[in-house]
Amino acid sequence: MNTGLIITILSAIGIVCGILIFMVNRFLPKEPESLKKTEEISGHLPGVNCGACGYPGCFAYAQALAKDKNTFFTNTCATVLQEPGMLKGLEKTLGIEVDSSKINKKAVVHCYGNPGVIGNYSGIKTCNAASKLLGGYKECPYGCLGLGDCMAVCPNDAISIDKEMNVAVIDPDKCIGCGLCVKECPIGIIKLVPANANIVYLCSYQSLKNIPGREKCDVGCLHCKKCFKACENGAIIWNEEKAIPEFDFTRCTLCGKCIEACPHGRLIELSNIALKEKAGILKDKEKNKRR
Amino acid sequence: MNNLLTIFIAMVIVNNMVLAKFLGLCPFFGVSKKLSNAFSMGIAVTLVMLIASVSTSVIYNYILVPYKVKFMNIVIYILVIASLVQIVELIIKRTNIILYNALGIYLPLITTNCTVLGITLINSAENYSILESVVSALGAGIGFTLVLIIMSGIREKLDLADSPKSMRGLPVAFLVAALLALAFVGFNGMV
Repeated sequence: MNTGLIITILSAIGIVCGILIFMVNRFLPKEPESLKKTEEISGHLPGVNCGACGYPGCFAYAQALAKDKNTFFTNTCATVLQEPGMLKGLEKTLGIEVDSSKINKKAVVHCYGNPGVIGNYSGIKTCNAASKLLGGYKECPYGCLGLGDCMAVCPNDAISIDKEMNVAVIDPDKCIGCGLCVKECPIGIIKLVPANANIVYLCSYQSLKNIPGREKCDVGCLHCKKCFKACENGAIIWNEEKAIPEFDFTRCTLCGKCIEACPHGRLIELSNIALKEKAGILKDKEKNKRR
Repeated sequence: MNNLLTIFIAMVIVNNMVLAKFLGLCPFFGVSKKLSNAFSMGIAVTLVMLIASVSTSVIYNYILVPYKVKFMNIVIYILVIASLVQIVELIIKRTNIILYNALGIYLPLITTNCTVLGITLINSAENYSILESVVSALGAGIGFTLVLIIMSGIREKLDLADSPKSMRGLPVAFLVAALLALAFVGFNGMV
């Protein structure tokens, strides 16, 4: 066999391939200007691709931001808001200013948790499947099923399941407010509240539907309106239709009167443990409390 | 025409790349966790297979056969396929950024994948013409995509199943792969 021929063929093919790559690289249009900006912006994004901003992944979000920087206000990236360093970098690149306290949010499970069940559930271990069966296996149709659908979607591991009370608990310090768990919860008891809202209300039971859930749940809302009457700043608005309190956090002064007034002393509470200690309220009740 | 149809069906079902020839097993287990990923991977592999078999069959029929250097095929095919994938990646990146985002991660993965090299070697071993190799590459690509989609669908359902702890994840996937391969044995003798 002719060795020279083999070497010629191999090197000829190699050279042709090399020239082809060179030609493609040289003559195709260069990366457009907007792409460069997109790449710069995506450097300031978290890159976790959680999809909470409404775009499929961080790169698509960066593309949208490169086109129109005001997208940041309509579809806010929750993770960036939590990281001051990241936010500053993004503000600089985009040339905008963001008041993070106004749009920053976090998720809260509006249920204190109750182990009371109708019967033992042994089906597929997801809330979504369990809720399809007679509206869940819990006595209360607004009770957390505690099977961890929200825990599975959380991009930041902020959610854990309290085995004793069978309820999902969201760590407010870890929550980035992306809202994925809100969409995932089949009974809709996870809601986004402003991040500076330090008072949370832990029941979703609506009185108008005549369901015996409240009688079985010893921590449910009594609909007594005591918290509403106790608030002097008008921060609590009574939702007549659902007969549960709603909060206007801009007016709340953290006086703690609604917490004192609640007959259960559990339904309304400060979300942050550090704040609880700072406020110095609820010390005696705290001992027999869960969080 | 009949011959082309036979080649196509044989490549899709009977001589399926993954389940009958046991090529491309790493993407078969690696990318078959989610249906959407499996589909993108299948499309990318089909695309690369088509391009690779066109170029390699041209080289085979017009260079390797006339000069009687058929034994060089592996070296030359690897060279050609690697540079072609580079070119395709460059073209997609410069012209269609959305398509690049969908396929981009998978393209470099496929560069030296054994399915791609395998289909080109099978084409030259069978002495296929250029048209025949295109059809066989298309069939192999579609067969690969089909198996990947079936596998990912089963694995998505398996995640919800209450299987023993030691069997969760890959072990049960291997069992499923074995059963799938057994099922595909049923097609033997069809063509």
